[in-house]
Amino acid sequence: MKRTGPVIALLGAAALGATALSLAAGPAPVSLRQVVEALFGGSAADPSAETAERIVLSLRLPRALLGLLVGGALSSSGVAFQALLRNPLADPYILGVSAGAAVGALTAALLLTGDAILPLPFCAFLGAALAASAVFLLARRRSGVSRERLILMGVIVGAFLNALIMLMVALAPPGKIPGAVYWLMGDLGMGTSHRVAVLLPYVAAGTAVMFLLSRGLDLMLLGDDAAFQAGLPVEKVKAVTYVTASLLAGCVVAVSGLIGFVGLIVPHGARVLVGSGHRRLVPAAFLLGATFLILADVVARTVSPSGELPVGAVTALSGAPFFLYLLRRNGGKP
Amino acid sequence: MGRKQDKAWVVNTAAGTAAAIFVVIFLAYACHAGAARAAFPLERKDDRGVAVRLRAAPQRIVSLAPSLTEIVFLLGQEGRLAGVTRYCNYPPQAASLPKIGGIADPDVERIVAARPDLVLCTTDGNPKDKIRALEEIGIPCFALSPQDLGGIYAAVERTGALLGVPGRGKREADALRNRAAAAARGKRGISPRVLFAVSTSPIIAAGKGTFMDELLALSGGSNAAAAFAGRYPRLTTESLFAARPDLIFIAAMEGVERFPDEVTRWKEIPAFRDGEVLSLDGDLVTRPGPRMVAALEEVARAINEWRKRHSGPPDTGGATKKK
Repeated sequence: MKRTGPVIALLGAAALGATALSLAAGPAPVSLRQVVEALFGGSAADPSAETAERIVLSLRLPRALLGLLVGGALSSSGVAFQALLRNPLADPYILGVSAGAAVGALTAALLLTGDAILPLPFCAFLGAALAASAVFLLARRRSGVSRERLILMGVIVGAFLNALIMLMVALAPPGKIPGAVYWLMGDLGMGTSHRVAVLLPYVAAGTAVMFLLSRGLDLMLLGDDAAFQAGLPVEKVKAVTYVTASLLAGCVVAVSGLIGFVGLIVPHGARVLVGSGHRRLVPAAFLLGATFLILADVVARTVSPSGELPVGAVTALSGAPFFLYLLRRNGGKP
Repeated sequence: MGRKQDKAWVVNTAAGTAAAIFVVIFLAYACHAGAARAAFPLERKDDRGVAVRLRAAPQRIVSLAPSLTEIVFLLGQEGRLAGVTRYCNYPPQAASLPKIGGIADPDVERIVAARPDLVLCTTDGNPKDKIRALEEIGIPCFALSPQDLGGIYAAVERTGALLGVPGRGKREADALRNRAAAAARGKRGISPRVLFAVSTSPIIAAGKGTFMDELLALSGGSNAAAAFAGRYPRLTTESLFAARPDLIFIAAMEGVERFPDEVTRWKEIPAFRDGEVLSLDGDLVTRPGPRMVAALEEVARAINEWRKRHSGPPDTGGATKKK
């Protein structure tokens, strides 16, 4: 058993540090003093200070908070799916959630003109929820939901939806889905204070449910029979875990697009740090994912002189070698 | 007595007249100065249907599309451009202006850092949520998306009014109108079937409802792609044969004089065999900006030359092969 208190405190400090860094870093020149003044009320007398305040409060702060919520939610969702499917390769997108969200988003971008009543994030969430429900209902038998059927149905539904995505992108008139293409690569640029406020309760509730389910998740790793013997209402826990994890992934995808890799790999990194007990793993993965995504977004925003990079590419490029090292150092057991 | 009164009357009249003249001059001057100033604050509807309000003539403008950058330059107001996209390459001076990202991926933070008092955007190319984010911060955004040549002239006039140079806007728009009218004049004789390829791999043609379709109609060509559904139909090589174009325009994206390699596969098409293939700077025909008129002039000239070659008895296949 590892001593986890200090580790989690350290991860919390890292998430705070990453947030502070992302407030100070960006393409526009804003001094540290201006950041502090913007946050804690300073004298925005001259126009450049006013501009700096706008940039910090209206653009960088919501974006950092969105990164925190999205990175944390994807990682919690990944922890849940890996326990539910007893599969170290599971991630929030494995069961067609991402493809469903993408179909929803592209539908919104293609069919709805002007200021639509159903904006892109809502349609993306709807798509994710529909895809996840379809997979769950298809996988259900009278005896309950088996993991193998769940994965199989998820992969099939995902393949079908991915084909729809290809068709939509191929048949879209030029210039019709400019934002959608960037959204498919992951984009935290949609971070506005309003969206952060909308997303916060969902992420908080979803992560809290995962935390409360942690004993159930521990038992699920032993297999259905053993968990049942231990007195766990297995089918109920499966259903709650599945719905919560899918909704977490769905609402996050809706706001920030498809940011891959975070939900798959951060849980493994967190296991290296705090072990595989879910009571510690859920908060540790949340904080690690938040830190990782905020830092990746800082890189995406600052590294290229001609504009932003897709944050999904940065997470995979920078994260893969680091996590490989982490896993290898730990004796290579995922 | 009477004389005194007369004198007083004369003096009074003269003074009154002078005063009146002064008043008239002053009023005229005030009206003139007011006319220049009365334009602001000004409120105009943009192409999203949003009423955009400007308190004063904008001094720092960010343009989110190459076509809009070209319009600002045309109006001689490039000194007010505080930021453009990485695609804004015309006139050449535009390339050295500060960049705020792309068309589909403008960087909101860079835009705000440029401290603009007006952002010119489009309704279809720029992401709506980023425009909304700018408006929430309090930066006025004006969307212009011309759908035809008439829309381009109007966009020049509307931009002129927005920037406080309505006279210049009107003059430049009229100049464009006159050039277009001159180019479209004198189209008599046979009408070639023209195919406009906006891309060669995959083959994407300009169909009905596109600017290129309008250019062909104005210069007296018929659009060989009009039979296909959609504004930008994707063609197979087979359907390209079936369209039987007499003349092919290729919108080249870089370097006007080089044909892409895949075009050599079209060598069985009569038009290609006879050398009736022309490439045209793609920027001219894909940007809804002032240079669309230059594209019209080129297209009209090419079609007129085709007519000269093909007037008289119709060709019976004995065309000279051009290498």
